[in-house]
Amino acid sequence: MVAITFIAADGAERTIDASEDLSLMENAVGNGIEAIEAVCSGNAYCGTCRVYIDPAWRGVLGEAGEIELPMIEAAGDETPGVRLSCQITVTPELDGLVVRTPVSQS
Amino acid sequence: MTAVAQECPVHQGRDDRKSAKIAEANLAPQHGARPVGSFGLSRDLLRSSKVRQAGPAGSPTDDAEIKNPGEVSFFFLDGEEHRKRRAAVAGLFAPKTIVTRHQAVMTSTMDDIVAKLRARGSAPLDELSWHMAVVVAADIIGLTDSDSTENLANRVKAVLDSSLSKSRGPLGKVVFMIQMLTRVGRFWKQDMVPAIAARQLEPKDDVISYMVKENYSKKGMIMEALSYGGAGMMTTREFIVMCAWHLFEKPALRERFLGGEEADQFAILEEILRLEPVASLLHRRAAEDIETKDGAMVKKGEVVAVSIRDANTDEAITGPCPFELDPDRAKRMKVVGPYMSFSDGPHRCPGAQVALHETRIFLDRLFRLPGIRMEREPEILWSPQIQGYELRGCVVACDPA
Ligand code: HEM
Ligand code: FES
Repeated sequence: MVAITFIAADGAERTIDASEDLSLMENAVGNGIEAIEAVCSGNAYCGTCRVYIDPAWRGVLGEAGEIELPMIEAAGDETPGVRLSCQITVTPELDGLVVRTPVSQS
Repeated sequence: MTAVAQECPVHQGRDDRKSAKIAEANLAPQHGARPVGSFGLSRDLLRSSKVRQAGPAGSPTDDAEIKNPGEVSFFFLDGEEHRKRRAAVAGLFAPKTIVTRHQAVMTSTMDDIVAKLRARGSAPLDELSWHMAVVVAADIIGLTDSDSTENLANRVKAVLDSSLSKSRGPLGKVVFMIQMLTRVGRFWKQDMVPAIAARQLEPKDDVISYMVKENYSKKGMIMEALSYGGAGMMTTREFIVMCAWHLFEKPALRERFLGGEEADQFAILEEILRLEPVASLLHRRAAEDIETKDGAMVKKGEVVAVSIRDANTDEAITGPCPFELDPDRAKRMKVVGPYMSFSDGPHRCPGAQVALHETRIFLDRLFRLPGIRMEREPEILWSPQIQGYELRGCVVACDPA
């Protein structure tokens, strides 16, 4: 299991035991992280699974690529470290990852 | 093709589906296609980069046939070209755009629909739902410079409905082709040309502006606009009527819908869509050998026919009583509400959220009208061309204005 911490916009923290090979979004939804809506079910076409990667982890995860950018731009979200969590696959290297979630996904 | 109905221990296997019988009797996957019904396998295949769209019969899905992608709707494209085209219009379908732009169009269209219904006292429901579906999709496409919404709706209907009508024999085909050309010609001249001219002067945020910028050919523009019409207008017309039918029939569900928060209203609509998917089959061709996560093999060249109805009622993902309308199911199962009804993977319906919002706004207003009632139930028909149900003849009435 891989420990991943979600910090909500109001500061509330929750650490989940994430399963490898599933996406960060699937792990979040499966663990009831309500700030992740994911209405397109992981197809990079709704932008409602956005997370902000903690600065310490941005080097590991990299920036949003061309699959993610159109929907991030459409959401008008310019927060540093923004990614679509459905496009991040959980691997053992992500143990200890910290992400924040937006006030609203729409 | 139909999933086996497990006897539901709690509700004696209640089956709330209205379209299942007609679908079972008529569903016709492409000849030789391999049926796929499990949710997991369907999802894996639809998401695989090794499959190609094998859409409706007769579509230009063979790579070799697509010589000029600029003349093909992105519905039929795959890979990088497809991704780029979808990315270019992503903003039109984003949740934020729905809130900041489409909701206003939906609300004012509903004002017109309500005025029409109250003035007439009664109206065919599919006429009202068609009005909503046309205006909303037309705004996204950029068909906003026609002489009137009513005329635009009629011209689109003439092309789309006629393109689906069967023609028998060589003479029938010739007559049909002439009729089609005339109807497409009218649509081009009276709806597309003014829209294109306006956008050449001043680009907007819509599909036609994008096509003008990218120098699409006339054929390419017509194909794309009509594909949106077919994909967005005809589907939503049926979905709205189907939801209304369930809500008219089930007072408790209607009460919950009217009393609920938006999220709960969506949960109800999505659960109806799970049971009554408007599209039933998705065809894909394997471009190379595929081995899925659970070890299933699909050989290069093989065509699979994913049954949305079976995937949507796969107990592995629905839990028990899959044929029962249960708006709390998706949340309980931690699945997106519409299940497979909007497809999955790169071709998943971009308009899914738009369709859900317009349906919610339509029904929320309709069911609050004084004296609202269903005077006649719809007749459920089958369209072999779109492999989906059509609901005709439903009449709704309300107290006059
Ligand atoms: C209840 C209403 C709707 C249903 C059930 C529906 C269903 C679907 C399905 C199942 C597909 C995928 C086909 C495939 O995978 O081969 C699709 C694609 C598509 N839909 Fe929808 N749709 C609806 C409303 C809309 C609306 C409102 C729009 C636009 C205004 C729209 C635009 C499209 C487009 C452009 C595609 C092609 C996407 C691609 O191939 O990449 N749809 N729709
Ligand atoms: S779930 Fe829709 S973009 Fe990630």
